[in-house]
Amino acid sequence: MLSGNKTSYTNYLMKQLPKATAFVSNSFEIVHASSKWETIFEYTNKAVIGRPLAQILKMAIAYWRKNPGYSQTEDSSNKSIERYVDSDGNEKWFEWIILPWFDDQENSIGAVIQTEEVTQRILYQSKLKNLALLLEEKTEIAKRGIWEYDAVKDTLYWCNTTKTIHEVDNNYVPTIETGIDFYKNGHSKNTISMVLDSAMKDGLPWHEKLQLTTAKGNKKWVIVTGKPIFKSNKYIGLIGTYEDITVHEKSKNNIRKNEHLLRTLIDNLPLNVFIKDLQSNKILVNRSEVEFCGHQDENEVLGKDDFAFYDKKTAKKLREDDLEVMQNLKPLIGRELVHTKKDGTQTTFLTSKIPLIEKEGEVYGLIGFSIDISELKQKENELKSLINVTSSQNNKLINFSHIVSHNLRSHTANLSMLLGFLTTEKNESEKQKIVKMLTDASDGLLETLDNLNEVIDINTNTNLEKKPIKLNHKIDLVKENLHAFLINNNAKIINKISNKVIINIVPTYIDTILTSFITNAIKYKSPHRDPIIELSSKKRGKYTIVSITDNGLGIDLKKHGDKLFGMYKTFHDKKDARGIGLFITKNQIEAMNGKVSVNSKVGKGTTFNIYFNDEN
Amino acid sequence: MTKINHIYIIDDDPITVFGIRKMIDSVVQFDVITTHGNGKLAIEGIKNLQKENQKLPEVIFLDLNMPIMDGWQFLEEFISLPIKTKIQINIVTSSIDGIDKRKWELYNSKTHHNVTFNHKPVGKKEIIEIIKSS
Repeated sequence: MLSGNKTSYTNYLMKQLPKATAFVSNSFEIVHASSKWETIFEYTNKAVIGRPLAQILKMAIAYWRKNPGYSQTEDSSNKSIERYVDSDGNEKWFEWIILPWFDDQENSIGAVIQTEEVTQRILYQSKLKNLALLLEEKTEIAKRGIWEYDAVKDTLYWCNTTKTIHEVDNNYVPTIETGIDFYKNGHSKNTISMVLDSAMKDGLPWHEKLQLTTAKGNKKWVIVTGKPIFKSNKYIGLIGTYEDITVHEKSKNNIRKNEHLLRTLIDNLPLNVFIKDLQSNKILVNRSEVEFCGHQDENEVLGKDDFAFYDKKTAKKLREDDLEVMQNLKPLIGRELVHTKKDGTQTTFLTSKIPLIEKEGEVYGLIGFSIDISELKQKENELKSLINVTSSQNNKLINFSHIVSHNLRSHTANLSMLLGFLTTEKNESEKQKIVKMLTDASDGLLETLDNLNEVIDINTNTNLEKKPIKLNHKIDLVKENLHAFLINNNAKIINKISNKVIINIVPTYIDTILTSFITNAIKYKSPHRDPIIELSSKKRGKYTIVSITDNGLGIDLKKHGDKLFGMYKTFHDKKDARGIGLFITKNQIEAMNGKVSVNSKVGKGTTFNIYFNDEN
Repeated sequence: MTKINHIYIIDDDPITVFGIRKMIDSVVQFDVITTHGNGKLAIEGIKNLQKENQKLPEVIFLDLNMPIMDGWQFLEEFISLPIKTKIQINIVTSSIDGIDKRKWELYNSKTHHNVTFNHKPVGKKEIIEIIKSS
């Protein structure tokens, strides 16, 4: 047993030990403890000495018990790290060492336990372990492998992911040379050799996209990075990553290919293709559309709407169509519209517009296709006008053949009938009467043939050259020719046509036309008044309209309107009415692409409006 | 030979009128032949006969193409007159236009009068046929 004084002195010494230390008796009671021990293990306000060992030293005690006769060893098996949770619930780690305690006679009287808090160290260790795990996980997920070259030992390290990328097994040991051999001959191998060289010599990092052939012969795209590492300014190696981007690269290639295919397709379609956003701005255009808009570069067209290229009216219509498609979400197919550009040129397009709808059902624009049908349209119009010309000519022909047949028949029928009488007639004076009639019938036939010839002439010479003629000059000529006729009938002509009026006509026709209408007006004058004929003119589009108004008998147009310009149609009981004048006049006017209309009131007078076509 | 009281010839061509008259003379017995140069004069003549309660013509020879009032206009007005007896109307024309033929069919179906369609020249045989059927 220890003496009191000696104990207290030893106690004092023990208290000041720098490390947390406890002296434990063979009966497991703490005999001495340093102040630090007391602080750490929260013995502050309690008597430490003589108390049994606390829970925290269970392990030390267990060890001691297992090795009762131990001696001081160097194998550090008497060391360990224990976890301890303090009264506040904080987790702490302690490294302890247990040593035998001897008295003066070298008798074992207990043990010395020295502890040191290693909580911080333990935490760092576990954090490091976690980080390593995390890194491994990360490289695996990202398919990004690590490589490290130790220049001092000339060894190359590949992590498992790097090995997987190269498709070698986990035991594979790479070298710089075998590593380079994986790269594809040509660009990839040259590049990696060059960057390795410049990294080693000049300390330059790199980041390259290269191709390699794996151990299994597969082609892969990788991004390889590397940078030199230095220790005290001395180059000691390289570190870097491998990233497998084959899938990415393949899909990128596919997308590029598809894009190219699509672009080639839309650029070479004989259509204008465009995509518009909700504001009708063009966000995609093909080459035809760019060229149609008058540009070379699509950037001159993109982002602009139709108001930039067409006149307001066209652009407005196009915008209305766009809105209709985007609001109703229904495609507009085959809309035919004449597009007028800002410079006035016109193009007829057949356009289809289809709404572009997102997965969520929201419309975000439209795609349009336009085909230029201007030429087709023009052909169609030409065809239509050709059909009109043909059918009108056909009608004229049928009319004419009826006229011919009717008029010739009426004379030949008479001739045949009279000849029939002549052969059987006995009476001499009757015979002479018949011969006289035969002569009349024959003269009539000749005259009819002459008239028909005239009509045929007019209709076959439709290509007679039209010339600009001063209208009043011609009127004066006709007036002069009809001078005697006008005086005999007390007729007066009022000419309201300006001297400036010039019409485009066949010169020989205008004489007949004017003469025919003027003599007609006087022939069918009213018995109650002297004839007054008024001439006037006005311009309407391509026509110069010459109006000839008289104060004569007038015609009941309801009864005779359809026969007015017919051949050998007469409406008045006038001896010299032959019914040929208006028929020929009408043919002449029509041969010059003109037309004629009539207004009349019985007893008041008649107005003929002659439309002279000023175009050739 | 049947005797006809009154025959009308409506035609503006004097030769045709002469021919028809001459043939009628040789094949038909009749009291009167009246000639008119157009439809208007003819219809006025018929209206006058009605007014004066005289006998209407039993046979009419009608040209189509005439001034002032043509054959169709005459026919249109004639069939609208209140005439109870059946009158033989013979269209005599040089027209071979199908439209005229269709018009004739239309008028023939519209009236109780007997309307025939003949091309010029008409011969004696036809005149006899016409008179017979009247």
